[in-house]
Amino acid sequence: MKNTYLAGAAALALAAGTAYADGHLAFAPGSGDFSWDSYEALKSMDLSGETVSVFGPWLGPDKELVESVIAYFEEATGANVEYSGSDSFEQQIRIDTEAGSPPNVAVFPQPGLAADLAAKGLLVPLADGTADWVRENYAAGQSWVDLGTYADENGADQLYGFFYKVDVKSLVWYSPENFEDAGYDVPETMEDLKALTDQIVADGETPWCIGLGSGGATGWPATDWVEDLMLRTQSPADYDAWVANDLKFTDPKVVGAIEEFGAFARNDAYVAGGAGAVASTDFRDAPKGLFASPPQCYMHRQASFIPAFFPEGTVVGEDADFFYFPAYAGKDLGKPVLGAGTLFAITKDSKGTRAFMEYLQSEIAHEIWMAQKGFLTPHNGVNTGVFTDPTVAKMNDILLNADTFRFDGSDLMPGAIGAGVFWTGMVDYAGGKDAAAVAADIQSTWDNLN
Amino acid sequence: MEQLLYASATIIVGVFGCVAYFYGSNLLLDVALPPRGEKAGRNINLSNMIRPWLFLGPAVALLGLYLVYPVIRSIDLSFRDASGDAWVGLDNYRWMLSDAKFYESLINNFWWLIVVPAASTFFGLIAATLTDRIKWGNLAKSLIFMPMAISFVGASVIWKFVYDYRGTGGDEIGIINAILVGLGGQPQAWITLEPWNSFFLMIILIWIQTGFAMVILSAALRGIPEETIEASILDGANPWQIFWKIKVPQIWGTIAVVWTTITILVLKVFDIVLAMTNGQWGSQVLANLMFDWMFRAGDFGRASTVALVIMVLVTPIMVWNIRNARREMV
Amino acid sequence: MDNIAGQKSALGWAVNIAVVALVLLWTIPTIGLLVSSFRDRDQISTTGWWRALTASEQNVIVRSAPPDAQVAEGDLWVIAGNIFEDGEGEVTAFGVTSRAPTALTPGTVGEMSKDRTMTVDASGNYRITSPVEFSGSRGTRIFATTLTPPQFTLANYDRVLFSEGIFRSFINTFTVTIPATVIPILIAAFAAYALAWMEFPGRALLIAAVVGLLVVPLQMALIPLLKLHNQIGIGKDYLGIWLAHTGFGLPLAIYLLRNYIAGLPREIIESARVDGATDFEIFRRIILPLSFPALASFAIFQFLWVWNDLLVATVFLGNNEEQLVMTGRLRELLGSRGGDWEILAASAFVSIAVPLVVFFTMQRYLVRGLLAGSVKGG
Repeated sequence: MKNTYLAGAAALALAAGTAYADGHLAFAPGSGDFSWDSYEALKSMDLSGETVSVFGPWLGPDKELVESVIAYFEEATGANVEYSGSDSFEQQIRIDTEAGSPPNVAVFPQPGLAADLAAKGLLVPLADGTADWVRENYAAGQSWVDLGTYADENGADQLYGFFYKVDVKSLVWYSPENFEDAGYDVPETMEDLKALTDQIVADGETPWCIGLGSGGATGWPATDWVEDLMLRTQSPADYDAWVANDLKFTDPKVVGAIEEFGAFARNDAYVAGGAGAVASTDFRDAPKGLFASPPQCYMHRQASFIPAFFPEGTVVGEDADFFYFPAYAGKDLGKPVLGAGTLFAITKDSKGTRAFMEYLQSEIAHEIWMAQKGFLTPHNGVNTGVFTDPTVAKMNDILLNADTFRFDGSDLMPGAIGAGVFWTGMVDYAGGKDAAAVAADIQSTWDNLN
Repeated sequence: MEQLLYASATIIVGVFGCVAYFYGSNLLLDVALPPRGEKAGRNINLSNMIRPWLFLGPAVALLGLYLVYPVIRSIDLSFRDASGDAWVGLDNYRWMLSDAKFYESLINNFWWLIVVPAASTFFGLIAATLTDRIKWGNLAKSLIFMPMAISFVGASVIWKFVYDYRGTGGDEIGIINAILVGLGGQPQAWITLEPWNSFFLMIILIWIQTGFAMVILSAALRGIPEETIEASILDGANPWQIFWKIKVPQIWGTIAVVWTTITILVLKVFDIVLAMTNGQWGSQVLANLMFDWMFRAGDFGRASTVALVIMVLVTPIMVWNIRNARREMV
Repeated sequence: MDNIAGQKSALGWAVNIAVVALVLLWTIPTIGLLVSSFRDRDQISTTGWWRALTASEQNVIVRSAPPDAQVAEGDLWVIAGNIFEDGEGEVTAFGVTSRAPTALTPGTVGEMSKDRTMTVDASGNYRITSPVEFSGSRGTRIFATTLTPPQFTLANYDRVLFSEGIFRSFINTFTVTIPATVIPILIAAFAAYALAWMEFPGRALLIAAVVGLLVVPLQMALIPLLKLHNQIGIGKDYLGIWLAHTGFGLPLAIYLLRNYIAGLPREIIESARVDGATDFEIFRRIILPLSFPALASFAIFQFLWVWNDLLVATVFLGNNEEQLVMTGRLRELLGSRGGDWEILAASAFVSIAVPLVVFFTMQRYLVRGLLAGSVKGG
């Protein structure tokens, strides 16, 4: 008999997969539904003696996962790939590229930063034909090409970034059994979601858990909310204009989206702990309210990575599930999806580096990670049968079937905005400051950027 | 094993090389200009002129390279644009003077400069004095010193468990709120509570730096000649008088050194603010503002301008130290 | 006489109590981290650390055994078991729905939907019945308020201490730390002596410069210096990081040591000079031994700073196996999005061990009172 403690109690289960780190392959070649022919094709290259250094933001379990993907490349080609991760990636990569000792490949969580480095001539353009490949093989291929294309130091547009691993952000997490106990249904439209929110309050419970705390990055979860609501109240064209600063923060459309977020986060009855707790609650602690007894809240809007912070032993799909953060039925905007992704770019060229970037296009490079956990991809050539987790497959469907897919706007804005005043402004707003005043502050910083 | 050998070898080479320089260069000077023979007088004068620079040489070279050179570069960058290429004149300074966050940081830095050095030195002096009088003093010293030895990431988690706030209805995991709720009060989101949150952040630095002050001041207190204290005991002075009238004046120089050092550290403080609030809720400080512009925004021009302000703020301390040094030399 | 003795012991008490209070204030936050390092992640983020020390009442959700474990009893299907993994604990209340998780007293029977019933007794035994066969793959949720004894785990330390490559990193850290502590002390001691006791033009200016350089923000120096290292061919290696730590540590070292050395009694140095000793001899025979407390205290600080440093190490040293330091290795254990407080807590105590040993060793030199003795003798 095996009991699962959802709250409390010691569990010894450690992050799975420590065995991958020492070079063993996670899945034996030839087994399962993987596209092994793409693995066999790699063997034609002999890269023994080549070393490729990869530097990215992934640590801990994520580091083990990316290393499990790298292991196949090393096994097939004989190359040596050294991945290292850092929690201050943004800072490190700037220093290393500026000073002239960059890694071969950098994994950027934000396109904005990559664009910055490209403009300084610190990135190497991807091989010719990569853009065509992405257009053909990625769902909404052109948009991924656009997101990875930046001006070089001479102002000419080049493709620098190859997207690998995508997150879907428009998700609302909940406990199906708590919904069942209370008799709630999953809402299909934003109108239903708001009605459900009010109903939960009328039942004497608290509908939402929201936490904006994230140490030095406090405020970012709020920017996701605003972006998601922007996509649900305004056209994709307006969203793009906003990200490019053609539509100002002070525009009523943007202020309106901020106030939509406020309707959820600034209502004491709507959020666990009251509106005053929103800004200081850590985003990693926030989802735990779903699983408390009695529940502290019933819904939590957060990206696809958040199950990593669910209590030990939580089974996604059973103890916890998600639904699409719905769109307004009354607005004709389709089903927009907000997402983000990491992009690989070459910071120092070499033969092995080129081969490694090419490996990332192969089906097997996607499937190995997919078959483990937390990996979504727009690659439509992969065998989705390898998803071991039905919920991840469900997320991937949301991604592939979106009417509109838009990249996290704050990651595209200049760093001083998207990783600066947009965060701090939203914290001020959550703390009670007026939306128009917050928007004016953000806009004035943007106007004054060098 | 190989790594161990390599490590020991590099350690020995590094340290030995350093000793060899000082020993060798001084020996060379003595051989080249012997303080004997017919030219003894001239040689002594000459070597007296050269020797300070043998002593100072490595220090001056390293300081010049690792600190002076970046300062000069910062001055240059502060007149340039974000990428450090185009000359923009005083634009960065104009931006700074119109930036509300800059003024907020300046005011917060002012409070940090007043509170932290004073409190750390005060608690450090108390700790140093009291622990010298008790049997388990060394243990007490080690415990008060421990915050200095904890890595910064560790410290930031420690203080999360102190200030954490779970909102109404939650089970508090921050000890201050837990005590407050236990006493029937309302929990508070301490780090968002303007303007007091800056002071809560200062407490963290005081907690860390008291150990520093204690160690230095304790060494100085031990250096006070026994006779002085014995004499005053015979004169009938009580412990209070001995402390304020005898001990404190004797170690006044050391107190000033500790105060100066912590003051300068405060000017540079940014990791506490970055980790706890990221300068939000009105708690921004200059060093974190600089860090933001440098690594978040990638604007080297503005970052350098803020850095120069930090460096200019140290001028009064420099002037004061020069005057002290001059006085000693007379 | 009695009176004085009485005063003395009263004072002794007061001092002891004051130190106890001070020590408590300074250590309680750290104790929180120490206790947390023995708890798992869920415990850390759901209850305060002080609750770990005593049996605590908690609302937990436990899943019953899965439907495979059901047995038929007459016309009822039954799943039974105990909610405590190790059989220890006490149930004070239970419930059958998340809406009323504490509604029932142990031993009573709760009605569930579809004519099912559930009962939980005080020792944690549960029994769920249903008129029809249970289906599905997962057990039913049992809501219980339990009184559980304190629970601690060594899993965090296990992960930190036995993580791959940690020993290598430990050695790497020593390779960085020892020269990066000794070299600046040596260089600074010579410079401090020159600034304190040698006559030469520009002395006051140099002292001021040292104070001024104390304030240079490290961040401003990283890019130009790494660029320089790359250009002159040092690249990212141990030599580079020793030089960097030496450069960054020198102003404080010179400042502290100069102040101490300048305070040494003039007579000793003058009389040595009269005896014909050269400056190098004076430094070696007199200044160095007399400055031990100051050298030791600076050594402690420089050692701590280098030991706990991550920024300078990641910039000036590579991230590969041969060069990754402890702080970098421990960082790799954390998740990409932070929040692994249990690992942070355990690694903080793993990495504090060596600095504390250094502190204890050096403390001997701090308290010798060398100066007082020598003045008497001299």
